[in-house]
Amino acid sequence: MQSGSERFPPFFYGPEGRLIQVEYAAEAVSRGSTTVGIRTDRFAILASHVRPPRELVDPYDKIFEIDEHAGATGSGYISDMLRLIDELRLESQQHRLYIGSPIDIFTLAKRVGQYIHEFTLYAVRLPAASLIIAGVDQRGVHLFQVDPSGTFSRGAAFAVGRNSDKALDYIIKNYSNDLGFEDAKKLAEKAVETAISEKPLLQVGYVEAEKKRFVKQS
Amino acid sequence: MTTIVGIKTVKGVVLASDKRASKGFFIASKDAQKIFKIDEYTAAAIAGQVSDAEYLVNLVKAQRKLIHLERGFRPSVYETAKLIANAAYSGLRSYAPFLAEFIIAGVDTEPRLYSTDVSGAISPESFVSNGSGSPIAYGVLESSYADTLSLDEAQEVAKKAVQAAMQRDPGSGDGVEVVVIPVGGVQ
Repeated sequence: MQSGSERFPPFFYGPEGRLIQVEYAAEAVSRGSTTVGIRTDRFAILASHVRPPRELVDPYDKIFEIDEHAGATGSGYISDMLRLIDELRLESQQHRLYIGSPIDIFTLAKRVGQYIHEFTLYAVRLPAASLIIAGVDQRGVHLFQVDPSGTFSRGAAFAVGRNSDKALDYIIKNYSNDLGFEDAKKLAEKAVETAISEKPLLQVGYVEAEKKRFVKQS
Repeated sequence: MTTIVGIKTVKGVVLASDKRASKGFFIASKDAQKIFKIDEYTAAAIAGQVSDAEYLVNLVKAQRKLIHLERGFRPSVYETAKLIANAAYSGLRSYAPFLAEFIIAGVDTEPRLYSTDVSGAISPESFVSNGSGSPIAYGVLESSYADTLSLDEAQEVAKKAVQAAMQRDPGSGDGVEVVVIPVGGVQ
């Protein structure tokens, strides 16, 4: 670093104490396809807008089964996301081998958060993907979001990707814990529609408290 | 050189043990502890090398604490048995086996009873015994166990089984200890 200049390595704290590379990664995520998750006490739904790359090319799957009781979706660079999905699947199976039970969703989100956090410590490119994880465990239905900084939070609704603030606004205005499954699915669809201003092609996945099983809807 | 017994009922689980610790033909202790509390809802009875057994109990206690702190709720009885079995299995596979076997009893969503052996195998049981006196204890258990036993009756059967073993097994003796974990936990 030159003394007296404003230059600093992009992987380190900026003058305002912010991690510039984390912000760049978040910016990349905000250009990804709009993706939402909604949870009530009885179920959690994941929905992601699928953009076909061009004619004659099949679109990517955006809803991923992580284990029998959990699934995830996300937004950002698809290859980065796929790597994080692998990590989630690995952690789930390791937990089963270690302690003989399905991983709880908090621990699952924490583990992938720790994996991402490692990247923020070094001069490497961060995975530019945000995940939304849905699952059911001994303590009920959970929904988590994990960011490129490794930060994870639990909540009733999340949105990531293009115009996610608009999608989230729409969900916040119309959310209720008493929402039925079909209503919640419509809410997710409407939220994405509001964000991208057109009727979206959506991929959907869900878990229900009763059945304890993640289902990918085609 | 021990007799330990575990019985599961719908209202809770019972563990019983004798109190003799032997060194070959010598009685090393007449007041040995063979049943260990893991938490308010889980206990383990041990048979075999005491140092190995105590080490594994302490190891599993530490692992359970970390898991409880991380995820925010306590490990189940099966998860507890699994943690002990993991250590037993890796010991066996690295030619340094832990010479101890366990009866893990507890209550989570319902009463649970498991036995783990030197190989790291876990088996769920409704009644079980281990140690040198177990063939004698099983004589009592096989004739007296019923899945309709009350918790008090199960306590009596467990005590009788250990007492019978103490009469004919030179490795067991010096009194019976009984631990009961009712549904709702130890008061």
